[in-house]
Amino acid sequence: MTGTTSSRGTRVLGALTLAGMAALLLFALVLSPQDEVQGEAVRMLYVHVPTAIVAFTAFFVTVAGSIVYLWKRSEWWDITAHASAEIGAVLLGATLVSGMLWGRVSWGVYWTWDARLTTTALLFVFVLGYLAVRRLPMERDRRSRLAAVVGLLLGPTTIVCHYATTWWRTLHQGPTITRLNPEIDGIMLFTLMLGMVVFALLYAWLLIHRFRVLWLEHRVEDLGLDAALAERRSEAEDGGTLVPSP
Amino acid sequence: MDVTPRTAPTLEPVAPRPARGKRGLVIGLVLVVLLGATGFLLIKVVGDASLYYYNADEAVAKKAQLGDHRFRIQGTYVGTSTDEPDGSIEFHIAFNGTRVAVDHSGSEPALFKPGVPVVLEGRWSDRGTTFLSDRIEVKHGEDYRAKHPDRVPSDQP
Repeated sequence: MTGTTSSRGTRVLGALTLAGMAALLLFALVLSPQDEVQGEAVRMLYVHVPTAIVAFTAFFVTVAGSIVYLWKRSEWWDITAHASAEIGAVLLGATLVSGMLWGRVSWGVYWTWDARLTTTALLFVFVLGYLAVRRLPMERDRRSRLAAVVGLLLGPTTIVCHYATTWWRTLHQGPTITRLNPEIDGIMLFTLMLGMVVFALLYAWLLIHRFRVLWLEHRVEDLGLDAALAERRSEAEDGGTLVPSP
Repeated sequence: MDVTPRTAPTLEPVAPRPARGKRGLVIGLVLVVLLGATGFLLIKVVGDASLYYYNADEAVAKKAQLGDHRFRIQGTYVGTSTDEPDGSIEFHIAFNGTRVAVDHSGSEPALFKPGVPVVLEGRWSDRGTTFLSDRIEVKHGEDYRAKHPDRVPSDQP
């Protein structure tokens, strides 16, 4: 055991992520221009949209992991689903906070119950529920099965959330970059894409570390189980004798 | 020193019971919170959120049906606003060729200016001639253009 969850690969990934974050700060706060209508508030775009897109991706990884776990009982996919949901929850939390701050400036309100915001809140509740299930005090296989079933709910909820601005009338604006001819200034588009890459790197970096920590947690859990079984066996062998409590 | 005999036959049936009860309570609480929050949000989606606003022309066409109910109306802020002695402001919104007079009481968002689409919350006046609003939300578009100090604003000739 090395005493760390890092490796050469994760150190390179981490360095790339931090360098990317520095570049994103430079472009988002200094090099990209103000928006004609929103002024300085447009800079929230470079955090809000990337965190949302990467959070959605994280939830699809959880859905994929849940399906493979239910199908093949793969511990690797079970842990991947768990780790991805945790990071997705943090990113979606960042999406909600940045969206509320941006909304206060551009819409005039922090929050409103339109279809996009409501389905985002629903998605956040689902992922918190999924993480709560992950900590239920029950046998690991049963807990993983239950979590995988709850994890499947993240798929349709994410799709509905993504298309909410297309399917319903919302205060939230519709998609920009997925349109055939997006109207966005060149350097703004570049900064937005840079944000997507940087937050994707951050997700990958955290995912690997979180996966390794969870894998070790499982091994510790196994050791505890082995120790309990060994203790029980020794007690059974000493049956009928007086054994003092520790 | 506790010298209580700890043998397998006496421990087996006793130990798991409290754990199961506590576990059941935790699982139950998690499910209740999850289902409660989901139910509340689904009602919000099906109710308020699915028809967030009427466009100005639809609100005029449904004036009799809407009566004095509160709803949201959407249109582009046109012309200029007039300050009234009671602190309210009067202005017009337009959508799809229909123009609606608005009497607004309350604050205005920083980006509220002519040419910007807005969503207003309120109700029709008793005579149905004016929309009485108490909340303005600015509905900005999907386009992002760099601000150029030399650009002539689109609402000027």
